[in-house]
This record gives sequence, structure tokens and C-alpha cells, in this order.
Amino acid sequence: MRRAFSLARLEALPIIVVFLLLLGLFMATAPQVFLAPFIYTTFLSTLPPLILLAVGLTLVIAAGEIDLSFPSVIAFSGFVFAVLFKEYGLGWLAVVIALASGVLIGFLNGLLVAVIGLPSFIATLATQFLWAGMATVLSGGKSYALRGIEDSSVWQVLVGRTVVTDDPAFWVNAVSVQAFWTAGIVVLIWFVLNRHRFGEHLLFIGDSNEVARVVGIDVAAEKVRLFALMGFLAALAALFLTLENKNYFGNQGQGYLLTAIASVLIGGTSIFGGRATVLGTVFGCFIIGMIEAGLVATGLTGAWVRTVQGIVFLVAIVFYLLVDEPGRRQAFFRRLRRLVGSRAP
Amino acid sequence: MRSKLGKALFGAAFACGLAAPAFAAAPEAPGKGITIYMQMGGNPGDGATLARQTGAAAAAKALEVSSLNEQFSGWAPEKMLEQFKQAMAARPSCIVIMGHPGNEAFSDLVRQAVDQGIVVTDGNAPLSQLQAQFGPKGFGYAGVDLYAGGKLTAERMIEAGRLKSGDEAMVYGVFSQAERGQSEKGLADTLEKAGLKVDRLEITQEANSDASLAVPVLAAYVQSHPKLKAIGTQHGGITSVLAEVLKKAGKKPGEITVGGIDLAPATIDGLESGYVSVTLDQLLYLQGFIPVLQCVLTKAYKMPGISVNTGAGVVTPQTIKELVPLIEAGIR
Amino acid sequence: MVAQRPTTAERPRPADQDYANIVRLEGVNMEFGAVRALRDIDLAIGRNEIVGLIGDNGAGKSTLIKVMTGVLKPTSGTVYIRDRAIDLDEYSVRMAHELAIETVYQDRSLGEKQPLWRNFFVGRQITNRWGFIDVRREKEIAGQILLKAIGFRGAGIGPDSTVKELSGGERQGIAIGRAMHFDADLIVLDEPTVALAVKEVRKVLDFVRQIKASGRACVYIEHNLAHVHAVADRLVILDRGEIVAEVRPSEMPVHELTEYLITLQRPR
Repeated sequence: MRRAFSLARLEALPIIVVFLLLLGLFMATAPQVFLAPFIYTTFLSTLPPLILLAVGLTLVIAAGEIDLSFPSVIAFSGFVFAVLFKEYGLGWLAVVIALASGVLIGFLNGLLVAVIGLPSFIATLATQFLWAGMATVLSGGKSYALRGIEDSSVWQVLVGRTVVTDDPAFWVNAVSVQAFWTAGIVVLIWFVLNRHRFGEHLLFIGDSNEVARVVGIDVAAEKVRLFALMGFLAALAALFLTLENKNYFGNQGQGYLLTAIASVLIGGTSIFGGRATVLGTVFGCFIIGMIEAGLVATGLTGAWVRTVQGIVFLVAIVFYLLVDEPGRRQAFFRRLRRLVGSRAP
Repeated sequence: MRSKLGKALFGAAFACGLAAPAFAAAPEAPGKGITIYMQMGGNPGDGATLARQTGAAAAAKALEVSSLNEQFSGWAPEKMLEQFKQAMAARPSCIVIMGHPGNEAFSDLVRQAVDQGIVVTDGNAPLSQLQAQFGPKGFGYAGVDLYAGGKLTAERMIEAGRLKSGDEAMVYGVFSQAERGQSEKGLADTLEKAGLKVDRLEITQEANSDASLAVPVLAAYVQSHPKLKAIGTQHGGITSVLAEVLKKAGKKPGEITVGGIDLAPATIDGLESGYVSVTLDQLLYLQGFIPVLQCVLTKAYKMPGISVNTGAGVVTPQTIKELVPLIEAGIR
Repeated sequence: MVAQRPTTAERPRPADQDYANIVRLEGVNMEFGAVRALRDIDLAIGRNEIVGLIGDNGAGKSTLIKVMTGVLKPTSGTVYIRDRAIDLDEYSVRMAHELAIETVYQDRSLGEKQPLWRNFFVGRQITNRWGFIDVRREKEIAGQILLKAIGFRGAGIGPDSTVKELSGGERQGIAIGRAMHFDADLIVLDEPTVALAVKEVRKVLDFVRQIKASGRACVYIEHNLAHVHAVADRLVILDRGEIVAEVRPSEMPVHELTEYLITLQRPR
């Protein structure tokens, strides 16, 4: 057992292979879509909120916790931004306050979990209802159209397009700025998880709270920081989504809950905590995002989308379980051999 | 059955004005080479979506459209915008959208698509500004004139339930979505004009995409308002759970006048048992059929967008019977 | 015996200050609600002795070491470290580390899924000013500790191995090696030989002897009387939260000790 499983040593290799296979499959079944650049530029504008949520969630799951409240941050912080920007004309200040609202929600989650000691599943389920409800109450359930916002510096800096030529059909012009912001944040979070004291503490906390305490980690403080960071990332996702849609929809973000969690787990982060991969999560997001576009472009009805996402999710989870837990892997192959017959020596 | 109706409609469309001899003689199907991305609304096969799917499929078959790609959003507006972007990236001939996100949210996206030569047309919830702007480029609308549909439903409810001034009524709707909300607004306004006391209740996003989640809300409402005389909604899923809600609340058929929309299976039961008094039939089949036809007409014959109000009539307990076989076939 | 210490692990240590006892407890009581887990404990640990702590389950051994090492704050009493009373409100695991007191818990000292180099440095990483870890340096030092201090040579264990891949004895070795690397003056061992094979036990006992040989003190909790008898300078016997006896192993052979513990079981 001493010889490490060499495949598992390369970060996110299995999921990158799956991603490439899926991409190849869609290139074959829908070449007119997947061999042209536009679907990719589209992903660059639609996937950033999912990616931000999922990398944040990667850290949360790495620490053995869960956050179910981020969809409500998408609604609440999105509302805060929309109302301050549109009704009060606060511009960049609206951005700052919206981000602060996300940090605050996360901070409160952290207090509930780390100081009061509620299981994060319960605590964030409760705050999910609370803040989504608050958003509906404060907005009166209304949507806010932000038409014309593309002329503001907020829009241009956060979600503008990289216009390099005058040709509107040139694909590079369609690359959205939020893709660069998101890429930057992903790199930063990778370094935080793998190279920073904070990330190492999260991994040890995820491994065992007890061990973390024994080696001198301030578990409660790190958890509060963790949830606040998650709140910040969710608020940023809310900004990207609201700005990209040029519209705040009441109750926006509910669709992200399961897709974000699935992206993290498909990517190879352990649901049991202590082991996590940011790179895997990013590819998990691409897979989840690509399946819908790919199946519809292939001509399968949209009805298949969830089925296929479910299959990929399930296969990934089983795969990681077998790779991570040598005991189970051996038992699995033993059963398989017995099933196939006694041909194996 | 379906394809017969499809052919009939196709023939009718031709008869209505494009029966130029040259085209009538053309052996080539007009839909050849045309690819369509179409937003279907809710979830595959649900009561407010199924007939739209069959209608669209029938049109695509009749016109021999090369490919019809269906997208389902669970009625979430931000999802509709995302799906529009994905559709645009695939560079189809035509994209059929749902109007729920509203004129402002869709405006820039539709302009980009039209600039690229993609035909965009709308169903189910109107986008009047975009229709005015891009109508000449084929932007049509097939769906209920929402405010008028709500008004019609309310008028029939007043008739059926002999509602009078001072009666208590509740309207359960998606008031928050500017355009889509017009239907319940029309309903509520009309009841108010008739002198009823109207309570407006917002449908949450959860209940919006899964109506069974609204059951407890409605049950609690009905029990806490013993003098309630009428419930109105223009949400197909909600309409389909109302009969069950009233039954559970111990109400007798007709005690509360229910006005709704669409002909989901449970709504039919509701009509048959008398719990549902009126339901606006918005002809979902046509809402699927006409946009596909619109795509082909515009792409092949450069026709501008046509506007069809599909919300012209209501179904009542008296008229439901003969419709049942058609509903079961996913047409009405 | 240990290679250079990392810069960030420098701590304000009372350098070679003259002291008799590394830790001394005076009149320490610990209550959990109505339960008195510790009663009037007076105990001193000399600067270079191995003290074995024995007693039945629930006798208060674990609570006692938790009080010593800053995990638990006692209900009353005084804790002296290097003969100086400390403020119990400030005392924490981190502070105990700074005062050169390390604890090796049975199976709670190492992060199972984490590589060894992280396990060596967690809690006192070598970082730049923004908190980013110098991974190369940490791995380098971890490699040296593995080779020199612990003597894992060519066993296929490197800084990148995860704890999961190690045997029970090897884990104790890593944890003790870590404590020695960081120049702990007192190393507390919590049942290090539980569930180990005989060969493994011998390794661990050798590690314990190394602690003494390098001039440090050690508190050693153990169930297996033979193991602790073999290495301890002094045995402290706890029963129901009280210290009931102190013996020198040379004065009482293992079988007598066993007899004595059994008599304690009888209701007093």
C-alpha cells in the first residue's frame, strides 16, 4: 500500500481526461457548435458565477463543512447591488456594499458554525431561507432592470468585453472580462489552498477538528474566516450574474445550489474533507456547464440534461471513492473477479 | 392525429397568403436547412409545457425543419438568458424565446442575435418593445395577450361564480416579473373593478417551478380566510393543484370560484369535479407550432413577425368533456 | 541532534534559564458540571525525567495532561511552567507550544490525509510575510528529520508520503520526531503503544528513551504497565481524579504494580 496510486498524484488528472473525452464527444456530435469559438466565449461569460461559487465551496468542503446558503447570497447581494446602483446611483460604492453584505452573511454563518457550534449543514440551510426571504421581502419580489448599465465603469471593469477590433463578428471581441477576474481568483484560491497557511489549516480541520486543535490551529477563527470568504465569493458571483444579465431577478441563484456542489465533487474534492482540488473543481464546472449546451446542440432534447449530469456525477463519486480508499478498491476488484469468473490467476 | 393537424395548419398558413404558384410547386420543403433553438418553458412534459413541445415537434416535422433543439428552464428567467447565449453560440437559423425575463433583459442579446442574421421570435409572454423593434426581422409573438387573458378569466369567473361587490378574492401570481405579471394583474384588476376585495399573493420561485410546493401555502390561506369566495391565478401548475387544495380544506365544489389557466391533467379533473370553474385555454400547442412556423416563414420567405393571441377562450366544466381525448394526446 | 530550526519557529523561549521543574501543578481541580474529574492534584515534572501516568479508564489521566498542555482550563488551582505561575486565561495549545511543551496524542496528532511535510510544520509553517508557505524548504527539512532524527531510511517514506500510508509505530515516530525537532522541553505522550505490534512497540519505546537521552522531560500515559514500567523514571498512579501513589519502577516490579492497581478497583 506504500506505493502511492500514481494517477491520483497528478492534480485532477482523471477529471481532465473526462473533460477532454466529453469535449471530443461533443466535437464529433455537434461539430458546427463545438468546433467554432462562440460556444467557448459564451461559457466564459456564463460560467464565472458557477466557478466562483464552486472554488469557494471547494475550500468549505476541504474543511469538512458545507455551505448551502450561497444561493441566497446571490439573491441578497444581487438585490443590494441593484437597488443601490439603480435607485441611489451609488456606482462603485454599490459594488463595495454588495460585497460587504456577502462577507457579513458568511461571517454570521461562521459564527453559527464555529462559535455556537451548529452543524454547518443545518446552520446554512437556515440562513439560506433567511437571506433569500429577506431579499424577497426587501425587493417586494420585484426584478430590477439595469438597462444602460453597460455604459458605467462598473459594468465595463467587471463584466465588459475585450473589444480589440471593430469587427463585431471577431470572436475575441466576445471574450468577457469576468473570465479574467475569475481566472485570477481561481489562481489565488489555488495558492491559498495549496501554499498558504490558511489553506493548510483548512485541510487539517477537514481531516479532523481534534487534530487541528492539537497542532495549535485556532479552529473557530479559521472557520469564521472560511465562511466569510465563501460569502465574499458568492457576492462576487452575484455581481457578475446581475451585471451580465443587466437585470436583477428576485430569487435569482437558486439554480446554482446543486450544480455548484456537484462541480466540486465531480472535480475530485473529498466530501469527507481534508483533501481538495481547485483545478478539479474548475473542470467540474466546465463539465456541468458543457453537458447542457452539448446535449442540446447534439439534438438530444433538453430533457436529457439532468440525467446525464447525474450519471457523470455518480460515476465520478464512485471512481474517487475507489481511488481514495484502497480497501474498498481491493474489495471491488475482488468482487469483480468473482463476477467475471475464475479466469484471473 | 398530430401530424394531420400539423399539415392542416401548414396548409392553412399557405392558404393565408403565401400560396404563390412558384412556391406551391416547389418540391423542396421550406424548413430544409433551418435549425431552431427553442425555449420550452418549464420542465419536460409538465402540464404547461407538453402541448408546446408537441406543437413545435409537429410543425418541425410538417415543415421538415432540419433540427429543433429544445431548452428547458424551469421558468427561471436568468436560466432563459443563459440558454439564449448558448443558443446564440450554436449559430442556429432561429431562436424561439420565452418573454419572462422582460424587454430590458433581452434587449441587447436579441439585438446581437439579429445582427448576426439569426431570427428571434417569442412565445408565451410578450416582449412588446422588442416586437416593435425587430418585428420586420421576424420577431413575432404567439401567446396570450396576457392582460386581456387575465381579464377574460376574471370576467368568466364573475359570471360562473355570480361574484358580487364586497366578496373576498385572492389572486396568486408572479407579479414580480414585469411582463409575465400582466396576466394576474389583468385578473386582479378586473375583479377589483367589479367591486371585489382582492388580495394579491406572490408565487415564490420554488413554487413557480414546482407547483406542488404551493399546496401548503394555499391550504393555509384558504383556511385562514373562511369568507374567501374566489381564487384566481394564471399559472398552469398552480391551477392544477387548486382542486386538491380545496378538497383538502373541506370545501365543496363551487363554494370557492376558481379561475385558472391551461389544461393540465389535474386541472381537467378539477373541471370535471367542479372545483375549477374556469380555465383560460392558451392553446399551448399553437404556442409551439406558430413560432416554428414563424422561423421558417421568416428564414425562407423573409416574412415579418406575426402576432397571434392564443388566449381567446376559456374551458368550463360544461365544455371539458369533448376536449379530453385531445388533451390526452398532448394537443389541447 | 536535530538540524537547523526554521526561522519562523523561533519563539521567546526562556533560554537556558535555571529551573527545577518544567511543569508543576498545585491544587488543581477540574469539574465538568457535577463531575469532579480532578481533585487537588499536586504534581511536578522534573526537567529531565520520564514520568509514567497510570490508572484505570476514567481515572483522569487525559484530563490531567489536557490541563498541563493548555487544552483545558482547570476550575481552580495553579499551573507553573519552569517554576513560574502562568495566567490560565491566556494558556492555550499555542502558548504551550511557545513554551516548548508538545503533546503526542494517540491518534490525534497527525492529519491522516496530509503529507508528512505538512504534518511536521502545521501550526508553525515557514512562511513569507503574506503567509505563503515555503514548500521547498519545509520538504527539505522534513526529509532531514525523517532521515536523521527518526531514522526512516530507504523505507519508501518521504516528505510527500501521507500519514495514511504509515504504520502505527511510524506515526508515533513522526509525532515524537516533530516534537523533538521543535526543541520541546516536555513531550507528553498519550498511549503511544495502543494497538501496536510487538516490534512496533519496541520502536516507540526507543523513541521515548531518545527523549530522555536528549535532555528533555516526558509525561507518558500508558495502559500497558509493562511498557511504561520499562522506560519511566517515576510512576504516578491516578484513581478517580486523585493521585493515590507515586512509585519508582526499581522499587516495585510489574506484577506487584498490577496487584496494587487491582486493589484500587475495590470500592473504597
